[in-house]
Amino acid sequence: MSRFYSKIGNVKVMMHACVLSLFIALSLQVEAQDGKKLFRGNCASCHKLEGKLVGPALSGVQDRWDSKENLIAWIQNSQQYLSDNPGDDYAHGLYEEYNKSVMPAMPLDEAQVNAILDYIANPSAGEEKEAGGGEKQMVAAQDSGEDYTLYWMLGFLVVLLIVIKVLLDVKRSVKHLLYDVKGDDGFEKDGEVKDFNWSTKDRLQHWAGRNKVVVALMGVVVLVVVLNVVWQGLLGIGVYEGYAPEQPIKFSHKIHAGDNEISCVYCHHAAEKGKHSNIPSAMLCMNCHEGIQEGSRWGTEEISKIYEAVGYNTETAEYDKPKKPIKWVRIHNLPDLAYFNHSQHVVAGEIECQECHGPVETYDYPMKQYAPLTMGWCINCHRETEVKMNGNDYYDDLHAELVEKYKEEGIDKFTVEQIGGLECAKCHY
Amino acid sequence: MSNSRTYWNSLEQYNNDPEFVKNAQREFAEDLPVDEFLSKEEASQSSTTRRDFLKFVGFSVAAATVAACETPVTKSIPYVVKPEEIVPGVANYYASTFFDGVDFANVLVKTREGRPIHIEGNKLSPINKGGLHARVNSSVLSLYDSGRLQGPTLKGESASWEKVDSAVASKLDSVRANGGTVRFLTSSYISPSGKKAIGKLKDSLGENADFKSVTYDAYSYAGMRYANEESFGKAMIPQYHFDKAKVIVSFGADFLTNWLSPIEFAKQYSERRNPSKDWMSRHYQFESNFSVTGTNADVRGAVKSSQLGLSVIALYNELAKKAGAATVSMKKFDDDNNVSDKIKTAANELWSNKGNSLVVSGSNDKDTQVVINAINDLLGSYGKTIDPKTEVYLKQSDDKAFVELVNELKSGSVDVLFINGTNPVYSAPASLGFDKALSKAGMAVSFADRLEETASSCTVNATPHHYLESWNDFNPKKGLYSISQPTIRPLFNTRQMEDSMLLWAGEKDTYYDFIRKNWEKDLLSKQSKYSYFDSFWNSAVHDGLIEVESSAGSDSEENSSMTFNADVAKSASAVSNASKSSNWDVELYMETSMGVGNHANNPWLQELPHPVSKVTWDNYIAMNPEDMMDENGNEIYPIKIAEKYPAKTAKVTVNGKTVELPVIALPGQRKGTVSIALGYGRTKAGKVILQGDQKAGGQKTIGANVFPFVEVVNGTMQYVASGASIEPTGTEYPIGSTQIHDTMMGRKIVNETSLKTYNKHGKSVWNPDIEIANAYGKKTPVQKLDMWNDHDLKIGHHWGMTIDLNACIGCGACVIGCNSENNVPVVGKDEVRRTRTMSWLRIDRYFSSNMTKPKAKEEGVGKIDMYAEMEVPSEYPEAVYQPVMCQHCNHAPCETVCPVAATTHSNEGLNQMTYNRCIGTRYCANNCPYKVRRFNWFNYKADYKFTGVNPSQDDLGKMVLNPDVTVRARGVMEKCSFCVQRIQDGKLNAKKEGRPVKDGEVTTACATACPTNAIQFGDLNDDNSQVNEISNSDRSYNLLQEIGTKPNVFYMTKVRNVDEERVSEAVKSHGGSSHGHEGEGSQGHGEKEHNGHEA
Repeated sequence: MSRFYSKIGNVKVMMHACVLSLFIALSLQVEAQDGKKLFRGNCASCHKLEGKLVGPALSGVQDRWDSKENLIAWIQNSQQYLSDNPGDDYAHGLYEEYNKSVMPAMPLDEAQVNAILDYIANPSAGEEKEAGGGEKQMVAAQDSGEDYTLYWMLGFLVVLLIVIKVLLDVKRSVKHLLYDVKGDDGFEKDGEVKDFNWSTKDRLQHWAGRNKVVVALMGVVVLVVVLNVVWQGLLGIGVYEGYAPEQPIKFSHKIHAGDNEISCVYCHHAAEKGKHSNIPSAMLCMNCHEGIQEGSRWGTEEISKIYEAVGYNTETAEYDKPKKPIKWVRIHNLPDLAYFNHSQHVVAGEIECQECHGPVETYDYPMKQYAPLTMGWCINCHRETEVKMNGNDYYDDLHAELVEKYKEEGIDKFTVEQIGGLECAKCHY
Repeated sequence: MSNSRTYWNSLEQYNNDPEFVKNAQREFAEDLPVDEFLSKEEASQSSTTRRDFLKFVGFSVAAATVAACETPVTKSIPYVVKPEEIVPGVANYYASTFFDGVDFANVLVKTREGRPIHIEGNKLSPINKGGLHARVNSSVLSLYDSGRLQGPTLKGESASWEKVDSAVASKLDSVRANGGTVRFLTSSYISPSGKKAIGKLKDSLGENADFKSVTYDAYSYAGMRYANEESFGKAMIPQYHFDKAKVIVSFGADFLTNWLSPIEFAKQYSERRNPSKDWMSRHYQFESNFSVTGTNADVRGAVKSSQLGLSVIALYNELAKKAGAATVSMKKFDDDNNVSDKIKTAANELWSNKGNSLVVSGSNDKDTQVVINAINDLLGSYGKTIDPKTEVYLKQSDDKAFVELVNELKSGSVDVLFINGTNPVYSAPASLGFDKALSKAGMAVSFADRLEETASSCTVNATPHHYLESWNDFNPKKGLYSISQPTIRPLFNTRQMEDSMLLWAGEKDTYYDFIRKNWEKDLLSKQSKYSYFDSFWNSAVHDGLIEVESSAGSDSEENSSMTFNADVAKSASAVSNASKSSNWDVELYMETSMGVGNHANNPWLQELPHPVSKVTWDNYIAMNPEDMMDENGNEIYPIKIAEKYPAKTAKVTVNGKTVELPVIALPGQRKGTVSIALGYGRTKAGKVILQGDQKAGGQKTIGANVFPFVEVVNGTMQYVASGASIEPTGTEYPIGSTQIHDTMMGRKIVNETSLKTYNKHGKSVWNPDIEIANAYGKKTPVQKLDMWNDHDLKIGHHWGMTIDLNACIGCGACVIGCNSENNVPVVGKDEVRRTRTMSWLRIDRYFSSNMTKPKAKEEGVGKIDMYAEMEVPSEYPEAVYQPVMCQHCNHAPCETVCPVAATTHSNEGLNQMTYNRCIGTRYCANNCPYKVRRFNWFNYKADYKFTGVNPSQDDLGKMVLNPDVTVRARGVMEKCSFCVQRIQDGKLNAKKEGRPVKDGEVTTACATACPTNAIQFGDLNDDNSQVNEISNSDRSYNLLQEIGTKPNVFYMTKVRNVDEERVSEAVKSHGGSSHGHEGEGSQGHGEKEHNGHEA
């Protein structure tokens, strides 16, 4: 026990230490951080430190320009700079190289540009500490999250068994002692059985012979338990609740939908339009990941798989490689005999994605199936869910007719069941 | 105590016969052949004991169970770059155009995830106006035909395009250098850009080369073109307006399903067949075979095919008398079934409707068509019902040029022959000897999708795209241009014919760019709506067609030239002289399903029952039942054909060519004339037609090719032949027919009346409500009798369908539409023969019989004789059609007998079928009075028996399946669902947009395909819906109303425009006769049942 508490104490101390060290690190790196923030806000959509994006790589940019003033002027307003300095061959060459695509004027003062340039010159200074801190935090969080109830129960059981065993042994020894004292005759007279020399098996048999009803009851209980386990197992065939297969890309819904609050239908846009909620095409990932080339969890390892799929060359910023589709492992898989339409539920039914898919925004990798997706589960929901008739002209007449039909009950809200949502041909055809 | 009696099984038992006593102890009369199977040597040698065997079984079962528990890993592979227009699970529709040289239709192609799965009509089309033909909507299946070539071939071997191109180029180069003859043989070709592409090739060949295009259609309309040239100075085909004609007379023209532009004409025709409109057209049909158009005619005269020309002259003479023009001389013709009188009445009515009448002929004889032109000229049809200003380009066959080409080929003077869209080795008249001529061509280049009869004898086959994979443009009639666009990336390594032409001509453009440039140059200026080409082009691609104004100058020019100036007398005497009397005439006709055989490898079409005979998969000799008996009344050929009653074959010999085919009884077929469908007997079309006689073992091609019978007479192909001999062979031949009873036996199945009765009397005479009398004679209308509580259908939707039997022409486009939408399996001829066809929608055809209940009463014919005679159709009967699908009864007999509640009623009136609940007892099918339920006897999608025919058995064919409809497994029942997937989709769209469902928005596949709008679908609870209005009209009735099933399908009484009174069968059988005598027939039966329930 005390060991356990002390562990919790350790965690707390560690967390405090982490936060403190992070704070210190942040305050030390305030200028570089400022540059990084500015870089992300102003430059990152067109530039990377290494490799081309829309514009050239910025690593070593100060070395390429002969004077920092010119560079700052260029950054602040490149077109102005070009017209002011017709003799700057490097700047004009750069302009030509990128097909005269104009770098927009940046509303940055000199200090800010300097901060950016400092960050470009030394980008890693702040990051290492941050990443390290983050990792520790995560480990700590994982530690404190575990559930010990089962271990406690098991431990208690073991102790109990040991106690029983010891008590039985004691009883036998006492009996033996008694026998030694009384002798054969005295023992028989008292109606005691000379069982202390018996094997465990013999003793069990003897006990069972004397307690037939208990044994029979135990047999029944065991049989019921076994049958129940088998039955539940059979019911579970084809039900993949909690199914969480390994995926070709370690995609974290938590990072995307949770931390970054990207709407579900940004990627799964077909859920609002059709029967299927699509797995997004790899090109859709590129809307963001053309810029975000390094992930917070796995670095470039996982994101580079997207580039491989769409044939994106990070060096040239061109899609010039062969495309290879990503073979995701399908998690939610309704049998073909059931017709399910996402848009019906998402748009007409105004159901939140989470009702069936669970708190996906908290799911890290791998994604898992939340609901059993059995027919009973569907039907239950259809029995309980109220149809959103208000404000949908489709239901106007139907609603009036239903109010009339159920006027004795006096209800004006109706479940899916009441509009025929349990009928076979609503889902099976 | 009372059990003192003893019962005996036999006298032997009574007598205690010793033999009996001995045997009575034994359970089996004969010893079981235990020794036989135990004494087998293999058995004793086997090391497997019984116990081992059981162990193996146990292990296998356990292993299988464990293996089944494993989670299957399903991959889900999204697009890398998702096409903008594709949303998974949502269908896209693209406007396109179908034209195969025979049928033309503007279509909408439904695609799912980039693959076409269904074809509907384009409602914007001025030609088909949303209607379809079975040969058009089945074309989506030909795209996935695994018999298609996957690339070009050189000398019959598959080769690369480089090799093929260099082979063709070197030949063309030698023509360029040394001169030579190049011929482009094509079926009717109406692509303006394609013509230019061919022109580019011609130009590239230079002055030295002699390049000519020759148009040849397997079923030619050259006779009409020549006749118009003679009559008006221009070889053309004018626009016909059947909707403007109050009287239509057709001589053998099957204009509703085959002749010229059948979808267009069916649409026009049906517009004037509604008796509630201000006028209804009257239609006379004179023909030798019983065509679909003939079955729809008000008055039909059966004429021997050799004398059809004479009947045209007879009509001309009748009209000439009235007009005061000179009559022409003619031979006398055989006046069976009052044809002369019918022609006279027709002439009277034509004359009294001058300017509002139309006479057409299906003949390909120039002289006959000249006389037809003269008749229309006398009637003033030109400019009214015939619009010569709107030239129709769909049929351009030039038979004379084709014959000339064959002669050129024979002389060996053709260096390069291109063959596009036609298969002359199969279809050209045998007397021309095209196959031999073809071998003399320097190089033959065909553009065929498979190595068919012609392509297999060509040096090069430059395999083209399917039309659903290609860009093209079409000019079907003056002022109308339509576009076909690809709806899928080419499946195979194919190249469009026009692209090949451009390439071989040395052009850089792709055909797509070529079309665009061409349109920009030629068409942009002809319209005023769009000033920018891109918007003009986009609108044309979106709509699939554009109509442009024709320039005024050329119009007046044409007007002046359109006066009839041919020598009628000369033509008439030619027609008269050509008609020879013979014992047997043979009429060769296009069947609605197979046409000229272009789609022989399409199982949907092969299994589509022929509208009149209801035979599937085969062509046959259609013969009048009277002709099938000898003079003593004995059957030479069996008249009744069913599963256990095969047909017998006969040998038909025409001009020395013989074909052996089964003989089928077809009432209405002119005696002394047999009809045989063209388009069958393809030998190199693919595996689908290798069905043959499966009983005989082995596979052989079904049907027989009768194109060799075609003769070239006076420069045109003649599809009639006289002087044939027909010899019975005695050989049995199984036939797969979907209907084996021909008459309605005096019941109100198709309720029919005449226009006269309809206009004069109330509903009670021609469409009475059926009343049921109880035991005390109290009559109650059947609608008011109920055994069960009603379903509550007042709330929400109540889906219903109306079928106008006056508009239905029986063509079968709906059947194909349904098959395509609902993944209905193809079962093959052998299973059709066993009445196991799976179509959810069938079209029943009934012939009229001479015997009726009033007639029997009048003549004192007994009941048994009466019903026996009622079973026999008349010699020349009238025919009616009735599409029957699940009637979605509100008191469904099937629902009450299902032990597992697999078929239930929805609150929207649908009779739902849940495949996964069904355990296959088939009680429902037995209890269904409409016989619309279909049982999956086999695993059609995997059983080897259906590998050849069922498209869902190969990876390619599977792509045609509709992903929204379950592919049913073996052992379950299925039936029409009212296209519930479309209903759900329509409702969902309305819900998502927050609006009520619009009338006409939700519709079934059959209703969409119907070329005559006979089928309507909608919400009966919607007061403004069309189905609500129609189902409440006087003509409306339910099928088998008397049994009280309360269907949601309503039929509209058929009204024939004849001058006699016709009361409903229901009135006939009830009227006059007292209730007590009604014991027989289904009506009496139903009555009895209901009385029982009521009591």
